[in-house]
Amino acid sequence: MKQFKWSLLLVLLFVLIGLVACSNDESGSTPVDSDDNSDSAEETDADTEEASGEVDLRVVTTMAGTDPAGEVFQEVLDEFVSENPHVTIENDSQSADAGTIRTKVNTDFSSDNEPDIMFYFNTIDAEGIIEEGKVVNLEEAEDIDLSGFNSMLEQQRHSDGNIYAAPQSGFYEGLFVNEKLFEEQGIELPTTWEKYEAAIKAFAETDIVPIAASTEDSYYVVEHYALAAGGMENYSAELADQNPAWAEGLDNIKKHADMGAFTPDAATIDLAMAQELFKQEQAAMIFEGSWLWGQLEEAEMGEDVTVLPMPVYADGGETGEIVGGASQGWFISTKSYEDEARHDAVVDLFNYLTSEEVIVRIAGATGQPPAKGALEGLPAYLEGGHQLISDAPAVALPINDRIYPEAFTHMRTSVPEIVSGNKTGEQVLQEAVEMEE
Amino acid sequence: MKGDKLYVFLFLTPAFIITGIFLYYPFVENILQSFYKTDGFFNSTFIGLDNYVRLWNDEIAREALFNSLELMLYVTIFQVGIALILAIMVNAITKGTGFYRTTFFFPIVISGAAIGLLFTLIYNYRNGLLNEILVNLGLERVLWLTEQSSLYMVAIPTIWNYVGFYFVILLTAIQKIPDDFYEAAALEGITGVQKMFKLTIPLIVSDLKTCIVLAITGTLKIFELVYIITRGGPGSSSEVLGTYMYQKAFEDTAMGYGATIAVLIVVLGLTLAFITNKLLQKEEVTY
Repeated sequence: MKQFKWSLLLVLLFVLIGLVACSNDESGSTPVDSDDNSDSAEETDADTEEASGEVDLRVVTTMAGTDPAGEVFQEVLDEFVSENPHVTIENDSQSADAGTIRTKVNTDFSSDNEPDIMFYFNTIDAEGIIEEGKVVNLEEAEDIDLSGFNSMLEQQRHSDGNIYAAPQSGFYEGLFVNEKLFEEQGIELPTTWEKYEAAIKAFAETDIVPIAASTEDSYYVVEHYALAAGGMENYSAELADQNPAWAEGLDNIKKHADMGAFTPDAATIDLAMAQELFKQEQAAMIFEGSWLWGQLEEAEMGEDVTVLPMPVYADGGETGEIVGGASQGWFISTKSYEDEARHDAVVDLFNYLTSEEVIVRIAGATGQPPAKGALEGLPAYLEGGHQLISDAPAVALPINDRIYPEAFTHMRTSVPEIVSGNKTGEQVLQEAVEMEE
Repeated sequence: MKGDKLYVFLFLTPAFIITGIFLYYPFVENILQSFYKTDGFFNSTFIGLDNYVRLWNDEIAREALFNSLELMLYVTIFQVGIALILAIMVNAITKGTGFYRTTFFFPIVISGAAIGLLFTLIYNYRNGLLNEILVNLGLERVLWLTEQSSLYMVAIPTIWNYVGFYFVILLTAIQKIPDDFYEAAALEGITGVQKMFKLTIPLIVSDLKTCIVLAITGTLKIFELVYIITRGGPGSSSEVLGTYMYQKAFEDTAMGYGATIAVLIVVLGLTLAFITNKLLQKEEVTY
């Protein structure tokens, strides 16, 4: 019996040791352990890769979900792999819709599990990653080809003077209007503020919703109303300035909501449902970005829609000023670039993804202006969008790419309370400033 | 005896290690994060109790707290109450028990996200099921999700989702009551209602207590239904602690403040479970 007890104890001891060993491997209970383990794991990976010549790469992008570029991007990756049989690529893309891509990327980079190449926001979102030296300065990187880009490359320049991301395409935001519905109702297109308000009033009297919008997810509504009230000069102000035009813009949303501009459940629908209203021709206008064209083409209504700049009524402002730019770019992680076993494959893939042919192909899926080359044979409605950028007297990045995320979330999620009269634009702006501080 | 203690220790050790790594370590880490202004990754500044002061003064957090408590009240009363009534009714019938048991339990196996989507489509103003019915009947559309109604509208699917769970627990408890009790009571001339209040409920009180504790603590974990159906709105009228914490931690990348809300959720959960246990403490019924 005693012998049995000791045998049992011995078995349990082995199980315990096994569990502890496993938990150390997985959890990295101390940073030192974690580094040691990952280092040794990397060395083993690198040794294996060097010996076999095979390389596994991981790419993170926002080309997933409803983004029509997702399919083209996968095709492009497949072609690269078939031309480079020693490379396998894991496409770890995730839609940018819910904002969780930021958490994913930050988690990857802070847990030493960064992707080799990523297509990510080169905005306030990438600040931490850049400051920690986690991504490569492309201008100093050997073998990286930055030739042939248009002015979008220069827009990527960081405040420290370096370029860490190569652009894919530009975007613009604007007022998408269903021309067919305007014609049917005999209403003038909203090319001025007065016509815009007249259109809201006229559609509110019909069964058609004037503007498809979510007042909770009111990213584009907030931006365009601030632009309309302040023009580009005020729109480009800092949050800390508490620019009165921003507050006036927020109050204008209430004014228009009271005129019946939005669907009564605008406070509880999300962006996707607002898009559905527009695509089902139940709404006449929507504030959106150039990525919407892909969805409109799928809904076979591209021909009926045109995109207009937000009518600006502010003194000193000019209708035609637009929100846009190139806020996303291709990054290379420093870790992969400095890894001898992966270096060549990473550089090859980066140069391939940023080649004119691939950039134009991916841009073609959404109709967005490419950072290299040009899209040809575009339908008139897409040409109109591109014209919007080339004719714009001023272009600026969206407010939420420039200010502290929590402050912008507070501004946009407070719109329902502004609409219901519980808060004023000035009050919300004040609260957002306090958050940023 | 000494040997037994050693075994107890050895058998429990793996569980302690796993719980420690995956539950207690992250929780301690969460408490530490709550003292920082941090995005959880690259930017981190120690700010002492500032997050707690902010939480104390945060009107939305206060509204989310009261909404969570209000939801807890509805959920506890209706989930356990409806489950009890259904269990007693199903126990009273002789045919079709299996059918009802499966039907009432069915919502449990549907994911919260799917139920959320289902109710979003039911409540939708322009194309929702309820308003389509009203329009077909020649009536005006109704805005189902308003600042006044949103919390009730979220409570309905939450209750429906989990009634089946408590129904099965209570039905099993009722079916364990020996028939002798009912036969003796029948001889004494007991009526149906008396049977329920004087016999069945007193005999399953310990199971009811478990259900109530589970319902109370479970409500604090409500997230997906609120997030999908109302996103906490309109305004913050249906915001609960779970959705507010998610918004702060993951949408606003204010991980430190999100961690502070998480601490509040844990403290609240433990306090409520403790209070409920104390209030419902009663001698166990054995038969």
